[in-house]
Amino acid sequence: MAKEKSDLLQGTLDMLILKTLALDAMHGWGIAQRIEQISDGVLNINQGSLYPALYRLEQQGWIESEWGSSDNNRQAKYYKLTRAGRKQLAQETQNWERISAAIAQILRAS
Amino acid sequence: MFRKLFLSIRSIVMRNRLEGNLDRELRFHLEMETEKNIKRGLPREEARLEALRSFGSVEKVKDECRDESGVSFFDALWQDLRYGFRVLLKRPAFTLIALVVLALGIGANTAIFSVVYGVLLRPLPYDRGEDIVFARQQAPQAGITNLPFSVKELNDYREQNQSFQSLVEYHSMSFILYGRGEPKYVTTGVVSHNFFDVLGVKPLLGRTFLPEDEEKGAEAALVLSYKYWRESYGGDPNIVGEKLQMNDRPHIVIGVLPSIPQYPQENDVYMPTTACPIRSSQRVIENRNARMVNVFGRLRPGVSLDQARADFTLIAARFKEQHPESYPDSRGYGVGLMSLKEELTREARPTLLILLGTAGLVLLIACANVANLMLAHLMRRERELAIRAALGAGRRRLIRQLLTESALLATGGGILGILFAAGGLHLLVAFAARFTTRAAEIEIDASVLAFTLIISVLTGILFGLLPALAMKGSLTSSIREGGQTTAGHRRHRLRNSLLVSQVAVSFVLLIGAGLMVRSLLRLQQVEPGFDPAGVLTMSINLNWSKYNRPEQTRDFFTRLVRKVQESPGVSSAAVASTFPMDQIGINYGPFNRNIQIEGRLVGPSEPVTQADFRIASPDYFKTIKLPLIKGRYFTEADDEKSLRVALINQSMAKHQWMNEDPIGRKVSLDQGETWLTIVGIVGDVKQYGPDRESTDELYTPFAQTPGGRALLIRTSGDPMSLARQTQNAAYETDPEVAITDVRALEQVRDETLAAPRLMTTLLLLFAGLALTITTAGIAGVIALSVSQRTNEIGIRMAMGATPARVIWALTRQGLLLVTFGVAIGLGGALGLSHILRGLLFDVQPTDLITYTAVSFVLIVTAAVACFLPARKATAIDPIQALRAD
Repeated sequence: MAKEKSDLLQGTLDMLILKTLALDAMHGWGIAQRIEQISDGVLNINQGSLYPALYRLEQQGWIESEWGSSDNNRQAKYYKLTRAGRKQLAQETQNWERISAAIAQILRAS
Repeated sequence: MFRKLFLSIRSIVMRNRLEGNLDRELRFHLEMETEKNIKRGLPREEARLEALRSFGSVEKVKDECRDESGVSFFDALWQDLRYGFRVLLKRPAFTLIALVVLALGIGANTAIFSVVYGVLLRPLPYDRGEDIVFARQQAPQAGITNLPFSVKELNDYREQNQSFQSLVEYHSMSFILYGRGEPKYVTTGVVSHNFFDVLGVKPLLGRTFLPEDEEKGAEAALVLSYKYWRESYGGDPNIVGEKLQMNDRPHIVIGVLPSIPQYPQENDVYMPTTACPIRSSQRVIENRNARMVNVFGRLRPGVSLDQARADFTLIAARFKEQHPESYPDSRGYGVGLMSLKEELTREARPTLLILLGTAGLVLLIACANVANLMLAHLMRRERELAIRAALGAGRRRLIRQLLTESALLATGGGILGILFAAGGLHLLVAFAARFTTRAAEIEIDASVLAFTLIISVLTGILFGLLPALAMKGSLTSSIREGGQTTAGHRRHRLRNSLLVSQVAVSFVLLIGAGLMVRSLLRLQQVEPGFDPAGVLTMSINLNWSKYNRPEQTRDFFTRLVRKVQESPGVSSAAVASTFPMDQIGINYGPFNRNIQIEGRLVGPSEPVTQADFRIASPDYFKTIKLPLIKGRYFTEADDEKSLRVALINQSMAKHQWMNEDPIGRKVSLDQGETWLTIVGIVGDVKQYGPDRESTDELYTPFAQTPGGRALLIRTSGDPMSLARQTQNAAYETDPEVAITDVRALEQVRDETLAAPRLMTTLLLLFAGLALTITTAGIAGVIALSVSQRTNEIGIRMAMGATPARVIWALTRQGLLLVTFGVAIGLGGALGLSHILRGLLFDVQPTDLITYTAVSFVLIVTAAVACFLPARKATAIDPIQALRAD
């Protein structure tokens, strides 16, 4: 647990959720696990904050949800990306790359 | 948008399910996390706690989820409402002031609007009332715009016009009705048989008139008004068919009217023209100049008012050609048509519109004031709001919260306002009744309530949105900078301009009220030309069918006056045609008669000499203290056997004889058949109210020209104390008389000022309201300024500023705004006050005294309002003040 953790930038959580769901439908806990795993524990997600984000994304029509059985045969709410969500993800990814490239350039320059 | 709404609605429907789902979803998450922790080797309890820890507050997450999902719209509304209630209840002073201010503003508007609606806007309660048109004859050269029709004229118009379906004749008289109980003096509408059909009035009982009721020799028929039927016959359903004695013949009741407002006037009973002994007499029917009836009718479909006017004008021109003797050039002749609605409301319209405008301005001031209160309230809550914003409440949500609060206040104010309006409405109805018979229709009905609802909502939006918009942006900055932000300055500017506009509008209202007060004072100062104090008046109405010879009338009144004179407490008594400022006289104007002056020829194109004709017994002048200018009064010697004499008033002497002496000259009222010798000149009397110029007047002695109905009695005590004994004396002289209008002459005179007085009172009330609200607003702004500048004031005082300097600095700030407001208000008042011109007597709308006095009052009041809160500033302890921020 000695790893340094970074706070999540505002708005990035939404993008990470969309990205996670782009692979497969997933329940809330699963999304949290996956983000942690893939980021190798660098990103410090407050697990609770995941859910309001999910509700917000659903309200915006980027994801939708349905109840299904989990691996251990329990009822879980699964989220999956909608077409609008896919478009949104593409856009946000592009944005992100442009901005991070710009920031990286500035940091290199100094 | 629709999707959002749909989701919102869906989520309300599915709200319980969502709550359950949310629970299940989060529980699933925690269980999974706990299991993961157990797998990592933690004991079960520890694993659960660790899961909860990494999750954060479950309740908070749930809350946020609810916010994010569609539930929030209505949920938030409910939350806002509850929160709004709490906030308002936590600040009872603010809430109470705002509610009262709004209730007064909205109440005033509701009350005035219900009058405006009932009188001006509501359709007439008649079948297609908009097609009903009133006709008026005019003699423009003689200054007469409202000449009734003679029966001959009416018949000609009936035959020759092409615009009306039918023409209706109407006039009102008073007769004594001997029914059940005491003799009653009843106002009687004398109408053509089609009167009720044209108005579209269906009877409540029995029937209305048929053509055969108006035939010559038909049995006299009566239709009773609803009110008279209830009051005099207790609503007896068997009244139809009953015979009542009137004018010495039986009248059969054929019907009762429903409870509707009557036009053109309220009457107790109605009779067809043939039942009226005067209207059916030959001298009225045959005489083209016996003008006594009013005419109205219903236009044919498709005929416009202008077409009908052209039609009537053509007929009028024909009259002039065929009967030049009845339409002399010296008087001019014309005919005018006016829609019934306009006819009924034309007197009331300007007054009511002015009142509505005034009430509207008061509401605007109330709005500005409450907006300022809200703003102040908001500035005190700034940090709370900033914290809420920082915690994630969106700006829109905060604005919605503010609007919810203002909507709550406006609704409360509206409800209270309706109660205010309902409480004060009867006063306004009595006021409106002086101008229009439509006053009876005034009520707070659905339309009025809708109006109140709309103005409440608009008010709420207006005073809620202004402060909300002023919050624009920079909420976060207020945390950092502790209130002294640019947004803070913007809010100050808004507060200041709200204050300036309140002052300006108040100034305009005060000018309006001030001008009315000046005008009323002028009216009260008018010398009436007689002394009403200590005089009792009453009308003695004889059963005229028994008094068909003048000697009988003379005998009755001579005996009555003698009897009254001998009664204790009476210093003098007299009989006269009418008494000064009699309401009937005011309504109908001077009783002008043509006069010939001996030795003076009047050419055909010259105006005929006219004078207001009055009859008076010798003691009349002494009784009302009408001064003698020259010559002598009438005496007991001026009786039927002696020389025919007359008195004239000063105006007539001046107009007709200029510098000559009129005494000894002769005049005639009957084209030279009999000549009256002028024996004296008496003073002018404001017979028709203080606002009207005295006309030329001619008096003849009662003994020589018996007629009239007014009994006047002077006493040294309270005139009303003589009322009973005088009435008894009249009944003893003839038990069949009907006595009306028993009043002190002072009261009669006061009545003439009742309408301007009430109008002045209303405008004063509104202006006072505006001034109070504005003054409170000024004090509030200064008080807030003091509390916000505690720091600065502290520094100044620490640097040695005297309390007087500090107070002056704060007061000056307020006075500057007030002066600015007065300057704007001055412009507004100069622009608007001419609207009042028609209501002002002997006062210019730009009256310097009023403007000076109002500016003075406003600035002094404002100075006090600034000074009181500013004085508190000096109580600030510099040390504490410096620590305050």
